[in-house]
Amino acid sequence: MSRTIHVLPDAVANQIAAGEVVERPASVVKELVENALDASARRVEVVLEGGGKRAIRVADDGWGMGREDALLSLDRHATSKIRKAEDLRGVATFGFRGEALPSIASVSRMKLETRARGEEVGTGIRVEGGRIADVGDVARTRGTTVEVGRLFFNAPARAKFLRSPAVETRAVSDAMTGLALANPGVAFLVRSDDRVLLDLPEAADLPERVAQLWGEEAAAELVPVHGEEGELRLRGLVQRPDRARPGFRRAHLFMAGRPFREPALLQAADRGYRTTVPSQARPWIFLELEAAAGSVDVNVHPTKAEVRFGNRASVESLVESAVRRALEGEESAATFDRELPRPRLRVREGGDGQNGGVSGGESESQMALFLAGDEATEGDEGRAGEDEPLVQGTLEAPRLWQVHRSYIMAEVRDGLLVIDQHAAHERILFEEIMEAYDGGGGVSQRLLFPLTLRLSPAECAQVEALSGVLQGAGFEVEGFGGDTVILRAVPHPHPYFDAERSFREMMDELTHGSELVRSARNQHERVAMSFACKSAIKAGQPLSDEEVQELFDRLFATELPYHDVHGRPTVVRLSSGELERKFGR
Amino acid sequence: MNFTITRKNLHQGLAAVSASIPTKTTLPVLSNILLEATDGQVRISGTDLDVGVRTRTPAEVGQEGVLTAPGKKLQEIARELPDEPVQVTSQGDQIELRCGRSRFKLNGLPADDFPNLPEVSFEEGWNAPGQVLLSLVQHTAFAVSTEESRPILNGVLWELKDGQMRMVATNGHRLAKMTVPAGSSAQGGAELIVPPAALQQVQRLFEKENEVHVGRDANHLGFRSGNTEVYTRLIEGTYPNYEQVIPKDNDKWAVVDRESFASAVRRMAVVASDQTHRIRIGFHQGAMRLTVLTPDLGEGEDEIEIQYEGEPLEIGFNAAYLLEVLRYMDTEEVKMGFKAPERAATIEPVRPDGEEGGVEYLCLVMPLRLLD
Repeated sequence: MSRTIHVLPDAVANQIAAGEVVERPASVVKELVENALDASARRVEVVLEGGGKRAIRVADDGWGMGREDALLSLDRHATSKIRKAEDLRGVATFGFRGEALPSIASVSRMKLETRARGEEVGTGIRVEGGRIADVGDVARTRGTTVEVGRLFFNAPARAKFLRSPAVETRAVSDAMTGLALANPGVAFLVRSDDRVLLDLPEAADLPERVAQLWGEEAAAELVPVHGEEGELRLRGLVQRPDRARPGFRRAHLFMAGRPFREPALLQAADRGYRTTVPSQARPWIFLELEAAAGSVDVNVHPTKAEVRFGNRASVESLVESAVRRALEGEESAATFDRELPRPRLRVREGGDGQNGGVSGGESESQMALFLAGDEATEGDEGRAGEDEPLVQGTLEAPRLWQVHRSYIMAEVRDGLLVIDQHAAHERILFEEIMEAYDGGGGVSQRLLFPLTLRLSPAECAQVEALSGVLQGAGFEVEGFGGDTVILRAVPHPHPYFDAERSFREMMDELTHGSELVRSARNQHERVAMSFACKSAIKAGQPLSDEEVQELFDRLFATELPYHDVHGRPTVVRLSSGELERKFGR
Repeated sequence: MNFTITRKNLHQGLAAVSASIPTKTTLPVLSNILLEATDGQVRISGTDLDVGVRTRTPAEVGQEGVLTAPGKKLQEIARELPDEPVQVTSQGDQIELRCGRSRFKLNGLPADDFPNLPEVSFEEGWNAPGQVLLSLVQHTAFAVSTEESRPILNGVLWELKDGQMRMVATNGHRLAKMTVPAGSSAQGGAELIVPPAALQQVQRLFEKENEVHVGRDANHLGFRSGNTEVYTRLIEGTYPNYEQVIPKDNDKWAVVDRESFASAVRRMAVVASDQTHRIRIGFHQGAMRLTVLTPDLGEGEDEIEIQYEGEPLEIGFNAAYLLEVLRYMDTEEVKMGFKAPERAATIEPVRPDGEEGGVEYLCLVMPLRLLD
């Protein structure tokens, strides 16, 4: 009886593997560029012809390979990156399966030229559909160049699924953008036919790379993110909430120089943005994770587009909390400035790695906002010494001034803050009421003359359903039969508070919905948001000096002083530098 | 128009009126005062449209006439002039002042632009001793509401009925009520809601020793004492039924030394939230325990001796409300009454028997909800 099961020849096996790894020119480029980066390339050049369908060339200045290695690299599971199964747990390189090169070679006409340091002459290998056709000497500088011609020439079924050159080119460009962001220290050049798609010199850090890709303005809109929890470290850039727009977003996650996809982490980052951006807005996010070897499995997928975390919940909570912390700072505030410096990422080395160090830095940067700041610059000290009392007095606290009964101007160390009194008070009330919920309920003043309100039946039902939550917010309300409710006690958030109007508007909003309350996570947050919005001091309300001061103090005692609950700014900055530019000084 | 007046009379008249002039106004004529020279006297008037003040002062009138002039400037000039007769002359809409060697010319506005003060008939009105009126105002006006949502509470209720005169003010959280015998001069009934700004002028301008005449028309009220008159519009509407909210069934009573109570509350208030001023007061046999706990700030506690026999009771209060009320209690001890932590608490002065003189004073403070 003849056997029906056969071991496949290597060439066929490679073609099958190619089906997983090599889908289109972009995946070829990705595999080859990752190889180049693993070989410590400082500069990588990618050239496409016909969208990569006709030819793809990836050249690097990395280590290069000796002849034997070069030949071996075309065998399946030949890899320099791991040696035994245990190594898989701590892979620091991009590839390791040893599949890429043979897979690509099996479905194309490949030319590989390489020279390792110390070798006098380089090696050139020509492969036709997986078969080595020619091996010879070439003269070249150190590094490796792989040229992939006629991709899928021997797999017509797959070739048919390739899209137009323009679409394939865009896919390559997207893949390269991710890799370039993940490796800012490497120079990249990507050309398609005669067009230069990306020309990125070596960059010092991620912010500079972002500036190279999308301009200084885009980079200046980002605020740095830092976080650390156990062996996890996180750093990166997120967009200032006031610049976040609905629709398209740029979101890139990296790990060890490798871009990866993980929608759950982006959602975690979005949770960090909660209440600081409108519910539709999609801020840009660039985050780099660093995890201890062993806590991450990158071998989930042949293209390694996904990673699996040992403890995903803690990674998500780290992302959420780090993003939120980034939005606490002054950098995240809206600004009038036309020219802003690029954000700076903290250098990781040194003793600032502990949690204590991180939060300490946070609070220091907040203090620096005020003129009352602890350390004056040397120049300031000299001046303060000469005419003490006056300057001393003004250094005590920022001078505040209400303008148009709607805004508060505050003089701070490096410029001016314009605060929207309503938005600021919304943020204050929202956080206070959420805190009050945790503490068992808000302050409630009983009324001598309870308010009797007629509401619509739907609103009455809403009152009934929410009475517990409303009570937590300070409203003691009960049905009075029919469409009437009685308010026996109300919160007292400020002296100009109109309990009846606020309550009516809240019930209207909570019954009929609004963008604001739809963005809430739970009933408590819904009520808190609606309460904050309807009860905050309105624009047009004159405030005494003391009230202005109190509003200012309480705003900066909140967690996110620069953002109101609608996702609008509470504060817009105007730096001294911008003023100087405006006046041509 | 021209008249000659002593510097002192001019300055006193202007000082009385200029406090009623609004500091900022969109109607320029309101920052002016109206001068009317008639037979042997000058009438000076100022108003912000809500409250008006008019005073008369003797002068040697050469030629009768009227004019308006910037009130604050005129007052400042009168204050700085040497103590010599001042000669005031009008020249068109301008006013000229001569005093010794000083000479001033100020631009005025046509007198026709100046709003008329309400014509209130004092014939139909009643009288009240200055001391009684001022005491009523002082003990109640502080409690009016400053919220715009219920305009009726922005005024002080002034009731005359059954031979008693009473003022009540509340902002819905605390209430002050004072009743005095009306005497023979005020017969018949009245129920008026008076803006506190007018009562402030009454307090400022009128002497305790003088009788105050009160007159009214449909929606205005006038006060007159000596040479000075204060006019105000009345707040329209029905005052809420305050009698209904004054608890009749309070059954727990505490007698407290006012000064030590007030200073303990002040101490607690330091650590209370700036926004809610919430403090907690526990009543126990023989002792009152005050505590305050403000998240993010800290806590405090204090204890004072009191006379209290009832069940132990804990109530939350707005410290600012308590302090206000205690400030206007003018006895050594005050009596507090309660029923339950969510019911209104009353505070009254404790007077030796026979010294009430028919005066009743009662304040009421609604508690803040306490969390456990």
